Amino acid sequence: MRFGPTRLITVGVVILLALAPFLSPLIHVDISIVNEVLLFTLAAMSANLLLGYTGLPPFGNAAFFGLGTYGAGLSIKYFHVNFIEATLLGTAAALLGALVVGPFLVRRRGIYFGLLSIAFGQVFYFIAYRFTDVTGGEDGMNFARPYLGISNFHVTLHGSGFYYLTLVVFVASILAFKLLVESPFGRTLVAIRQNEVRVRYLGLDSNRFVFVAILISATMAGLGGALFGMLNNFAWPLLMDWHQSGDFVLSVILGGSGTIWGPLLGSAIYVIGKDIISSYTNLWQIFIGALFVACVLGFPRGILGSILARFGTAPLSNESEEANWTQSPAIAADHHG
Amino acid sequence: MQTARPGSTIALRLAAIVVGLGALLAIVFLLSKNGQVSTQLFNGLVLGAFYAIVALGLSLIMNLTGTINMAHGSFMTLSGYLAFAMVSRGTNFWFALIVAPLMTVIVGVLVERTLIRPLYQKEPIYSLLLTFGLSLMAEEIYHIIWGANGVPFSPPPSLAGTVGLGFMSFPAFRLFIALVLLLMIAAIALFLTRTRFGLRLRAAVQDSEMIAALGTNTQVLYMVNFALGIFLAGVAGVLAAGLLGLNPTSGNTLLMPAFVTVIIGGMGSLFGSIVGGVLVGLATSLTTLWIPAASEVAMYALMAIVLTIRPRGLFGEEGLFG
Amino acid sequence: MGSTLLLEAQEVSKYFGGVHACEGVSLGVREGTIHAVIGPNGAGKTTFFNALSGFYYPDRGRVFFDGEEITRMPNWRRIERGMGRTFQTPSIFPELTVHDNVALGVRSKAGLAFRARPPSGEQQAVLERRVDELLGFVNLVRFKERPVAELSHGSQRLCEIAMSLSTEPRLVLLDEPMAGLAESETERIISVIRGLHDRLGLTVLFVEHNMRVVLGLAEMITVLDRGRILAEGTPSEIAANEAVRDAYLGKEVLERV
Repeated sequence: MRFGPTRLITVGVVILLALAPFLSPLIHVDISIVNEVLLFTLAAMSANLLLGYTGLPPFGNAAFFGLGTYGAGLSIKYFHVNFIEATLLGTAAALLGALVVGPFLVRRRGIYFGLLSIAFGQVFYFIAYRFTDVTGGEDGMNFARPYLGISNFHVTLHGSGFYYLTLVVFVASILAFKLLVESPFGRTLVAIRQNEVRVRYLGLDSNRFVFVAILISATMAGLGGALFGMLNNFAWPLLMDWHQSGDFVLSVILGGSGTIWGPLLGSAIYVIGKDIISSYTNLWQIFIGALFVACVLGFPRGILGSILARFGTAPLSNESEEANWTQSPAIAADHHG
Repeated sequence: MQTARPGSTIALRLAAIVVGLGALLAIVFLLSKNGQVSTQLFNGLVLGAFYAIVALGLSLIMNLTGTINMAHGSFMTLSGYLAFAMVSRGTNFWFALIVAPLMTVIVGVLVERTLIRPLYQKEPIYSLLLTFGLSLMAEEIYHIIWGANGVPFSPPPSLAGTVGLGFMSFPAFRLFIALVLLLMIAAIALFLTRTRFGLRLRAAVQDSEMIAALGTNTQVLYMVNFALGIFLAGVAGVLAAGLLGLNPTSGNTLLMPAFVTVIIGGMGSLFGSIVGGVLVGLATSLTTLWIPAASEVAMYALMAIVLTIRPRGLFGEEGLFG
Repeated sequence: MGSTLLLEAQEVSKYFGGVHACEGVSLGVREGTIHAVIGPNGAGKTTFFNALSGFYYPDRGRVFFDGEEITRMPNWRRIERGMGRTFQTPSIFPELTVHDNVALGVRSKAGLAFRARPPSGEQQAVLERRVDELLGFVNLVRFKERPVAELSHGSQRLCEIAMSLSTEPRLVLLDEPMAGLAESETERIISVIRGLHDRLGLTVLFVEHNMRVVLGLAEMITVLDRGRILAEGTPSEIAANEAVRDAYLGKEVLERV
């Protein structure tokens, strides 16, 4: 991103988000919904790192999000940790989950990666679903929102207090994300998305990059999930279901994959739209489904992607002519040795 | 330079499947003194045949066009509901068993021609999202038409009893299902190895540039291939409705095991889908017997084990349909 | 001509579904030479190349690089060891600029590609100098800030050669570097290949089916036909070889040499 209009947008968005507690009542949206948007965005950004930058279809990121939620929830419920500790433990749970499934995913590309990420994501869903004694199973699990945990500052955050805390984490995450994708590491990820064979023939072990990308992605999703859990004081298995992963991916595509702000835009439309529609009709699933179809057929580059393309600063398009369906032999050759 | 595997190899493999399944059934008989185990083994085989047939349809579509058809389960459910609608209006079950899948195929082809086709040139994530959206919409539409709760759909009286076979007796409907699914697997294998169109299909899957060389119309190939996959889903959908119940999400519950089946069998391998289906079916039903709580997780554990030993799945390294 | 073998293939075979694409091919590339592999379409040249460069591994046989066995070494590690390669269809990053295409390889060589921290000013200056040097070698400096996708086919290939040089290889494998190029572009590539050898002192192994180009450029030629070695020798030996004449070459081509 060059400075100029983009920096202006950045400042504008942050100001808008900072004023959200005052603006959202005007459109009859509760601040907790805006809060949800930010946390949903963290998960969408984590999916964007894999989809938009590395070129992998991430259909299991809900599992990492949910691991964050359950990690925070369980540690609050059983170990009575404070807010900060719960956030860290939830995030760590997601990272741990990625360390377990990452090795299975790391050598796969294209639809094979998509299938495997769905399947491994479902493992966590079923664990949460079946371990009723610990997780409450299908009914989910309640827990109280803990104290913040900064000594001499003995408070529990609610409403806009919680929102501003989330906003700080969110802005920090966006900054970190931007630095990451513009770093040498991030540029290599983009190169992998464009032509992994060449990356390997430049002497780089692409699997190593993909593995670290999966870990970073899971950590971001876990952070969002942990805060999401404490926002709702509740964890439930469907959070980890692949449908949820699909919603994250939709938000990325809707906003514009491979862009910094696309996931926020997509998540805002998805979360707020769903909130509004579901207050009118319980058939919201039809609308969400139609949104998928319309987005894919109507503006596959996403809203932000289309705008940026019009102004010449095209984002990384996700529409390569030659789809990388299965795995190229250049990568396959690796796991023999 | 790369040539299609000769048909005889596939016939050999087919024979291997039949022998293997026969051997498994023999084990069922041998273990039949323990009624519970043998019943579960048999149930597992039937379940496995379901997974295999759904996975076959998924694989066909995936291999040729790179589309992960998330709406595959919705097509199964649709076929089940159509059969239910016919049977509840007095239509013969056997008629419905053939016609409902064909009607589903028509819907499928319409969807493929109008919505999925524009996405073939794009990355697979798009067709995946599209079919995902369709499945969400379909679920809600079934919900509106047929209600959220299951509808009663039972097999015809002629298949209601049990059939005694030597040591043990089987529920006739399950036996019938096993037979139909086995026949379908054999038919599709013959179609792919013995007919001109099937051979072209396999050639196209292996090398899309070859279609042009063969002078085949790519779009027709895509359409027929999709129709074939949906037809398999349709038949499985009617049978599953009779066996496992019918509600707006019933087809989708078979989707995930079918994904796992594809992964275990190895992507691109027809043979793998069949073996994978049987393994997943057996793992699921045997775990149900011993550790009911882990029945869903069992197939994922199996998947993790298989992938650890063979990173591309059981038959993933071989030729596409070999 | 040096005498040590930089690259050696021993009885390399590769099968696809029971069909041998390449069968028992042995070859030694002496350090500091330009070595060509020729043969008609479908002779197994690219298969052999892929087996040498670790795109996939051979089913039989062994491959050595600088005395070390690399038969089943991952391809990226071969690059670290000092190999570079290009592909028949230029393998580039189409959406990135020429500069960024080459810079990735330079960062890779400098061990900076995996870092989350941007390079220091000093490191950056060294990187930029190296990128300019490489682009200067292939004469693409004027396209530096253009996306590679916008370049002509020949320029894309030159960019790819610069990329394969960015990791500072000792041996460069070029897969049909002249394929699909116009006459003038072919001349550019030929002079660059000569430059690899004469100016940079690299060893070059290339696949080509244009006999005239091969005879004029290579010091040693290996002829493949239907996956096997048909003949091997100096250009004049190959031009005189009866079997090669019969199997592959039009007489008129040889008479011009």
